[in-house]
Amino acid sequence: MGATIQAIEYVFPKNKVTNKDLLLQFPEYDFKKFDDKVGISCRYYVDENETGLDLAVQACEKLFQRIDSATIDYILYCTQNPDYILPTTACLLQDRLGLSKNVGALDINLGCSAYTYVLSLAKALINSGQAKNILVVTAETYSKILNERDCSNRAIFGDAATATLVSYTEEENFGDFLFGTDGSGVEKLFVKNGASKYKFESNPEVKTYGSGNFYTDNDLYMNGPEIFHFTGEVVPGFVEELLEANQVEKDHIDQYIFHQANAFMLNFLRKRLKIEEERFFIDLRDGGNTVSSTIPIALKKYSQKITEKETLLLVGFGVGLSWSGGLVTINNKL
Amino acid sequence: MNKAEFIKGLEEELELEITLTAETDLKGLDEWDSMAAMLLIGYVSNEFGLTLTADDIKNISTVQSLIERIGVEKFN
Repeated sequence: MGATIQAIEYVFPKNKVTNKDLLLQFPEYDFKKFDDKVGISCRYYVDENETGLDLAVQACEKLFQRIDSATIDYILYCTQNPDYILPTTACLLQDRLGLSKNVGALDINLGCSAYTYVLSLAKALINSGQAKNILVVTAETYSKILNERDCSNRAIFGDAATATLVSYTEEENFGDFLFGTDGSGVEKLFVKNGASKYKFESNPEVKTYGSGNFYTDNDLYMNGPEIFHFTGEVVPGFVEELLEANQVEKDHIDQYIFHQANAFMLNFLRKRLKIEEERFFIDLRDGGNTVSSTIPIALKKYSQKITEKETLLLVGFGVGLSWSGGLVTINNKL
Repeated sequence: MNKAEFIKGLEEELELEITLTAETDLKGLDEWDSMAAMLLIGYVSNEFGLTLTADDIKNISTVQSLIERIGVEKFN
């Protein structure tokens, strides 16, 4: 008895924002260098009246063109941009998609580590006999929580949603997953206002960081150097732990697929881990850093090349601070 | 790696149009921004295995101050 990733679909919103578009707004910023080093050419933003749930519905409907929605018995919905503070967005999704009222449905409030976390939860639900066909959804609209004048983060982050079907199979295609948490890093990647502790301010103080990026406590703040530091310190050792937990040699992994945060940082990690370029996925040129959606988008893209069974190592890391990862085996185009 | 090689390498990594010296104020460079900070952290980490923190970035000024943060004894 085991679990397998059967299929993945993803969607971007219609509104495409190129580096050239951003250059008009931020003429001082070197977008040529950004394109070259960070590896992002465009990102997509939702319209004002569109939400992550709207994107999630589109991604799921795309998936249901290939799989029977009536088989879904559980929804795991990853988001940090829910439509409402309550209820849980997964309930709204059940209704929007017209899924059975017998489904289990819940939200997971994690960012860049969410997808790998939720794959392990899906595996556990299936292997404990609680579900057979799990709809794993990721949907983020960071464009809604970025300051209009925050050039760095506007360049990096984009909106997207993905839908993955994880199903019961005879053969186990999931390896072991591991997790990591450091809540002391809360303020390194943070939206301070708007929930229970600090109210959304109507006239917040405008702050700056880096070189000429503006934000307020109502917006997302990211301490880039600190996040880089955290990633460099934690991820290489974590990958070694994952290999050991799965009793697999580094060379036996066909492809390493990490959260697509930024191409420079990924290359930095790749070199640190001494992994060849061919076995390390980097492609966020179209869409940018879409938070919990980057790994499923990368899996979908990479799987198009798969002709025989491959072992992939997945790692997510970011806001929390939180990280997770695991091994999956894929033998079909997702 | 000696100091001159380090400074030359940093100049290339940051794609600077000017010639970098030990006295150059990094924050005063036209090219200095959060992207440059990222490139700097990557470069130092690759060469010295030291991952600079946000506080380190905040505290450095000249190239010499960066060298001192890394540790003068690490340059031959």
